[in-house]
Amino acid sequence: MASNSAPAMIDPAIFQFLQSHAEQDIDVNEKLSQITTVLNRQISTAQGYLSRIHSTPTSKIQPLLSQIEKEGIQPAISSIQELGKFASSYPYYKYNHRWSRSIQNLVAVMLVTAWLGGMGNESRPGEQGRLLRIEEVGKILEVPINLTDRDEFHVTIEEYILAMTDLTEELSRLAMNSVTMGDINLTVRISSFIKDLFAGFQLLNLKNDILRRRVDAVKYHVKKVEDVIYDLSLRNLIPEAKEEAS
Amino acid sequence: MAAAEVVVPQIRDDSMAGVKRDYKGNRKEGNPGLPKDVVRNEYTSMFESFRDSLDEHHDRRQKIGKVSRDVTALSKKIIFSLQRVRKLNEPIPQNISSEIEKRTKEIKELLSTIEDDVAGLRRYQYSMPGIEEFVEAVSFAHYLETQTLITPEQMQAALGDDVKIPITPADYVFGLFDLTGEMMRFATAVTALSGAMPSGFMGEEGDNGRTILEDLQETASMLQIVPPISSKGWKDKKGVMIEQVRKVERVGYGVRVRGNERPKGVGYDFDVGEETAPVMD
Repeated sequence: MASNSAPAMIDPAIFQFLQSHAEQDIDVNEKLSQITTVLNRQISTAQGYLSRIHSTPTSKIQPLLSQIEKEGIQPAISSIQELGKFASSYPYYKYNHRWSRSIQNLVAVMLVTAWLGGMGNESRPGEQGRLLRIEEVGKILEVPINLTDRDEFHVTIEEYILAMTDLTEELSRLAMNSVTMGDINLTVRISSFIKDLFAGFQLLNLKNDILRRRVDAVKYHVKKVEDVIYDLSLRNLIPEAKEEAS
Repeated sequence: MAAAEVVVPQIRDDSMAGVKRDYKGNRKEGNPGLPKDVVRNEYTSMFESFRDSLDEHHDRRQKIGKVSRDVTALSKKIIFSLQRVRKLNEPIPQNISSEIEKRTKEIKELLSTIEDDVAGLRRYQYSMPGIEEFVEAVSFAHYLETQTLITPEQMQAALGDDVKIPITPADYVFGLFDLTGEMMRFATAVTALSGAMPSGFMGEEGDNGRTILEDLQETASMLQIVPPISSKGWKDKKGVMIEQVRKVERVGYGVRVRGNERPKGVGYDFDVGEETAPVMD
């Protein structure tokens, strides 16, 4: 750098500004990796337990649901708490891609568990066929939902909708397996629920993004269940009382 | 007669296509955007509220995207004008500066229309590449006038008190990466025309001040030392910047070795690339 009376090209404050922001970004990313690694491990565990719904008859489902809640969902909630506390100090949308998928996976596990009759509490016992609403998801995770007025950690509508497409996928698989396990009532129930949700998804005006691709896939979930119902009705296997659902 | 009414086109106040009609041809009331036969179930209202939120989000993104593109176009025009400047560390000529002022005012007006849309947590929700382009334009003007690199505070101040949109560290630093490209173009063009590398005290014998090549080298080395502030595109931008510095180094070598052998205004036999012309959208 030439030494003359003119001011220097670069004010040292610029260098400091860039350096400190870069270092902060590195620190934040490291901490987020740390938290999400643990969180994803917990979610995998929960998903692993959840996969047993496809081989567990309805009569024995309650103990499995409690296990999913205690050993899968509960530990993940504490990680969400930690994540929420840490992430709220930084711009939400700068970093949310780091955990958005995890949130979606966890919420999906919660939705399936609740639909099967889990996730009950004192004020509202679990019951089969219940869709956990986004407000309830927020209460269980103890984080805000769909924030627009302050820059803090929260669960977005998009994450919840994506989790609902996971729910329809999982239930479409269960519709088949519950026939194998001899619970045709469950299949019929899934069929009517999935159709209701499908009707809801069709109300959304979607742009060409991840949400559209995933919501588009819901019709295949519906078809999968309808095929099962068709097979059953063809052979008069659907219980009388539920016939109108086919 | 009823059949004739169907085939004869009717001129109506509302010629909008797709109006729903009952079997007698009377217009049906209600929101035409919604299918009339939606059977409501216990989830319908939930999905309707999601739809409203998503619509709002998409509309906002579209609005911001449009402003951002306009800001980009205006910023490029500013840069284009600035490339007509021939002297470093001197006030920008009146005709050019008044043009820049006009465009800057337009940019501020555009940005102020989306102030609320990018307030708070939304600042990082929607991408606004136009801001980066604006940083490039403002920092280039600042460099030409003062031969110093604009600070983040000065950059924010350039937006004025009326536009309350924060310029993020990433906007700032990516704007600086782009600035090195403009410095390269300026350096090669002015050197080719004047036969000397632009510097702060052109025309005086003896101490000629810092040259733009030195400034470029210093800026580039700073941006190489600093770790990435945003991982998105950092590596590419850094690579391009390093190449730009090399080009100006070759220009600097060229004028030192052969500079006096050529009449001014004659180009050099090395390739400074098609990038010497500012890119217009």
